[in-house]
Amino acid sequence: MRLTRSTLAVSAVLLAVVALMTMGANRALAHKEKHTPDQLKIFEDLFMEQVKLGDLLFHGDGATEKKLNAQLSKTGMACAMCHPFASDTHPHEFPKFQEQMNKFATLRDMINWCIEKPNEGIKINDDSDAMKALEAYIYWSNRGSRLDAGRH
Amino acid sequence: MDHLQDERREIARALKTPGARPDPSLQITRRTFVHKSLLTAGVAAGAATFGWFPLVNTLDLAWGQTAFKFAWVSDTHLYPKNVNTRFVEKAVRAMKEVQAMNPPADFLIFGGDLAQLGDPVELDLGNDILKEVKIRKVFIPGEHDWYLDMGKKWEALFGKQPWTFDHKGVRFVGLDTVSRAADYWTAKKMTPTERMGHMATLDGSVAGAWAGVGRDQLEWLNKTLSSWAKDRPVIVFTHNPLYEYYPPWNFWVRDWREVQEVLKPYKNVTNIHGHTHQVLYNEIGTMRSIGMLATSWPWPYAPDGVPALTKCHLRADPGDHFDGVGWAQLSVAAAGKVENEYMMWRKKDHILGEAQPDSGCGDNGNQILTPRLADREWVYPGSYK
Repeated sequence: MRLTRSTLAVSAVLLAVVALMTMGANRALAHKEKHTPDQLKIFEDLFMEQVKLGDLLFHGDGATEKKLNAQLSKTGMACAMCHPFASDTHPHEFPKFQEQMNKFATLRDMINWCIEKPNEGIKINDDSDAMKALEAYIYWSNRGSRLDAGRH
Repeated sequence: MDHLQDERREIARALKTPGARPDPSLQITRRTFVHKSLLTAGVAAGAATFGWFPLVNTLDLAWGQTAFKFAWVSDTHLYPKNVNTRFVEKAVRAMKEVQAMNPPADFLIFGGDLAQLGDPVELDLGNDILKEVKIRKVFIPGEHDWYLDMGKKWEALFGKQPWTFDHKGVRFVGLDTVSRAADYWTAKKMTPTERMGHMATLDGSVAGAWAGVGRDQLEWLNKTLSSWAKDRPVIVFTHNPLYEYYPPWNFWVRDWREVQEVLKPYKNVTNIHGHTHQVLYNEIGTMRSIGMLATSWPWPYAPDGVPALTKCHLRADPGDHFDGVGWAQLSVAAAGKVENEYMMWRKKDHILGEAQPDSGCGDNGNQILTPRLADREWVYPGSYK
């Protein structure tokens, strides 16, 4: 294709538009307000509140279960009875093929498997408050472990 | 957790001095389990036999006069029958198997944690299940049996500790390592149920370093052993291990230094303990230590501190409640040999796992855990159901 003066002009305009759009996007990022210590504390507090809720659920606290509308066990067993300090939960190894389920599974799948099988409790929704809290506690407890997805 | 490393270094300094091992007459031989690495490196290296776990081990005891067997069952963690039938089923199975031993065992040692929450209903249920076994029975308590009523019901059913008896050339000792917790309940005005709930939470911090032998029992032990020749066999039963494995879960006794000082002069000491719910083996100075299985459920191996001498058991299948659990039978042969055999219900020939994907410790290298916060900040988070 032969480049004419007009095609060059059109290209130049397009380039300018794209550049402006990109700059705009950059500007939006660059102009994000700095976080104040108060903001950061709010984020941290919100997270730790979930960790503590998850900790209590994980340790079989009836009041927290009621609050979050969950029944994680009917055998008296709590998650922490096989997983003290959330050990052997290996959140850093998901997703992976999970033998018990015979499928490629996420941590949420595994949490629900434990609730349903060994604990004989009632499965919780993936996006439920109880699931988020359990996830927060399990990840927080294991946050020093190296990410190693797929490891058996 | 650097303080743990410090403590372990201290153990090594104080007790693992060059040449300090259990009496050399305690030869470990194997009958049904020989690990490949042993055949090549282990035997030639002598002290490297440290590296394998005696699934069926034989300890030579020069003073064994008559052949006999005894059985260990512990950690049944019974709830009332209507809450959990699985634990009942497994406790009953263990008792039936002990009773069916042929030739029969001379006695059964029940190693503690009969109940889950110290409830009299649970302890009575356990007592009923134990009636299946007609041979002599001796008992030591676990923390789950104790902290609802501070041992009243336990002692009414099973008597007091410590105790000792000599049996066919072996001095047996039973200690209580659970009742000497510092008072964490009075100042916080806890109810007995709350006190028990904190004690029943393995990874809780409120009950603190509750496992200990205590000065009174140390003095008793010292006196009791003083009439026994230093090279004659002693078997000490405790709920917690008599060394430091993992203090945050009370996989230790806090006064292990003093205990080892008392035991040090005796060259044939074997400690058999419960609480850890896993295959475990260690040698500390002149004492060897064997951890027993629970009938209820297996604990995971602690993230660090697993003795180098332990070969971890195969990962348990959480979908099979008979996996990773069981009891043990120990026998003393006429030639003076003591054998320990794990009776793990769903695994007969392959109890131990070595490769990373198989071993119960396989993921410990990449498992950095953070102790809990919730039970420290919220004093009464409720109790187990």
